[in-house]
Amino acid sequence: MHEYSIVQSLIERVEREAEARHASRVVRVHLRLGEFSGVEPALLATAYDTFRERTICEDAPLVLDRVPGDDLILQRIEMEVPDV
Amino acid sequence: MCDTCGCGDTKIVPVEIHDRILADNDRQARHLREHFGLDGVLAINLMGSPGAGKTALLEATARALGSRRKLAALSGDLATDHDAERLRKAGIPSLGITTGSACHLDAEMVHHALHDARFAPYDTLFIENVGNLVCPAIYDLGQRANVVALSVTEGVDKPLKYPVMFKHADLVVLTKIDLLPHLEDVSIGAIEDALAQVMKTPKMIAVSAKTGAGIDKWTAWLESIRRE
Repeated sequence: MHEYSIVQSLIERVEREAEARHASRVVRVHLRLGEFSGVEPALLATAYDTFRERTICEDAPLVLDRVPGDDLILQRIEMEVPDV
Repeated sequence: MCDTCGCGDTKIVPVEIHDRILADNDRQARHLREHFGLDGVLAINLMGSPGAGKTALLEATARALGSRRKLAALSGDLATDHDAERLRKAGIPSLGITTGSACHLDAEMVHHALHDARFAPYDTLFIENVGNLVCPAIYDLGQRANVVALSVTEGVDKPLKYPVMFKHADLVVLTKIDLLPHLEDVSIGAIEDALAQVMKTPKMIAVSAKTGAGIDKWTAWLESIRRE
């Protein structure tokens, strides 16, 4: 089950993006997941729920957009940033 | 303070990323691919179920090629160095990558292992992935080609049950064909039919590491993609 290592990569990426924008928290994470991505959505969700504790993703639900093909894409991160 | 300037205010914004989740792995794989290209190394990511005969295929490859090619191998398993040891006995300088609990190799593990291994110069690198028909499929290791070893004892419908793995395959090596006379329900034709349903360009070579049948076709295929 490689969903755990995928979630690790995902959270590391979200942390980097959030840090670069001085985000105080992440609100939602959107993924595009292909039918043949090799990733099982339910397992990915479980892995995400396990790993997000005490990370910037702690309060950020995962939104999965199921598509045909083999996409495994981090689409969009909704985050709270300073209003400058 | 700062009721007026708003410096303490926040807003929620959508940040568009549109990048592969495995982008870091892809980057590392590109780095490996550059190295392999510069060094003239043909790198093969060899995948398949546990017991499909991946190691035996490489042993037979070493026997067939003799000193014509300089081979090297990395072999991934959750524990033990058994496969690397077998390959070294077969004359292939090899290093085992023990992944602990990880069910696949990634580009970083391969990169580390190659630095650790300090192999003498080689022109062919076999990366024998962790035995698994699911997880290894989606990790780019910088290889020139993905090869899936499928043994006749696994039955005829594995390609349909594990389509992602076979979709990623450039070649399927059907192994253990010396056992076919003992398997009433298995025919090469039925396996080819299953592969035709999932592979974009179906390509299969049937071999027996034991008798050596078909190994010449496999080594010829390796030479053909080396020239591509």
